[in-house]
Amino acid sequence: MDATGLAYFAAGIGAGLTIIGGAAGIGKLAAAALEGIARQPNAAGDIRGAMIVAAGLIEGVTFFALIVTILLAIK
Amino acid sequence: MSALNLLLQAAHAEAPTAHQTAEAGGHAAEGGHGPAEIIMHHVSDTVFFGFPSKHLIFFGLAALLVLLVTRLAIRSYRQGQVPRGLGAAVESVVLFIRDDIAEASIGHGDGRKYTPLLCSFFFFILIAALLGLVPLPTYENGKWGLAGTTSTGNIAVTMALAGISFVAQQYAGISKYGLVGHFKNLIPSGLPVWLLPIMIPVEILSMFTKPFALMIRLFANMLAGHMVITTLLLLIALMGKLSWMAGVLMTPVSIALGLFIMLLEILVAFIQAYIFTLLTALFIGMYAHPAH
Repeated sequence: MDATGLAYFAAGIGAGLTIIGGAAGIGKLAAAALEGIARQPNAAGDIRGAMIVAAGLIEGVTFFALIVTILLAIK
Repeated sequence: MSALNLLLQAAHAEAPTAHQTAEAGGHAAEGGHGPAEIIMHHVSDTVFFGFPSKHLIFFGLAALLVLLVTRLAIRSYRQGQVPRGLGAAVESVVLFIRDDIAEASIGHGDGRKYTPLLCSFFFFILIAALLGLVPLPTYENGKWGLAGTTSTGNIAVTMALAGISFVAQQYAGISKYGLVGHFKNLIPSGLPVWLLPIMIPVEILSMFTKPFALMIRLFANMLAGHMVITTLLLLIALMGKLSWMAGVLMTPVSIALGLFIMLLEILVAFIQAYIFTLLTALFIGMYAHPAH
């Protein structure tokens, strides 16, 4: 296995790990937000706004890792 | 060598006449390149009808469209009391930005001052992202291809947007408290002295990581959508090189998945425009009201 093969290997593993992390974060976030909306339907709008912001932050961090894996795959 | 590359080469030796199915993939018709090169060619800055940079063209196009849409929206105010059509649509978005983003995050007095900037961010990012979903033709090296591109999928463009956001954040603090007061506000008062050597570098670092995160988030979101759509369409060409029938069978699956991602991208365009605007407003509010 040469260096390029290892880089592709690392990119694939990295992309998988990134998705695991991002999905766990956004899943917990959505679960908590849905529970909050179910308990307090009046606050649905506020909760949804806060949920989108937090999802955006999690997604941003996930994309940092994804960019690294893309760089591994194309360099 | 990637596995896909090897697959391509092996398949090419067996079925060299599979070029018709390869044409269906648009950019996949480059020939001789691996999938990674084709995907990168699609998302990187290339020639567009003789112009050296397609991102620059689409950047200008997005800016022109923003100006046109807002001018047309303003015109409907002059004609009557209640805006109709486009004017009403733009008004609802502007009102949302002013009331739910600017005034809610920055405060009732200051929010109004930053609304024009936030509206510019929102409309530019939204229209630039939606432009990328319009399949426009391009002509390059004697071949036709698809060139619907998002200018915010270029890191230089998002860097400029994040730079404007950074200047606005610092301006919010400096214009309100003065240069010295602004930097004093970065550190919460009442901290023990031994914490200062840790807190000062951390706060100065976070000043720069905020716009940096804005830059990467928008860039990666716009890049990722286009890469996924290209990859799904590329599957047709890859399968077509394996066998003629596989390419034909793959086509409806690829197009259905690509269509789904494209619909998702419309949602992402609105969400990213909203998030960039909202985070800029939150950061401005953070510097304008350092108490919390």
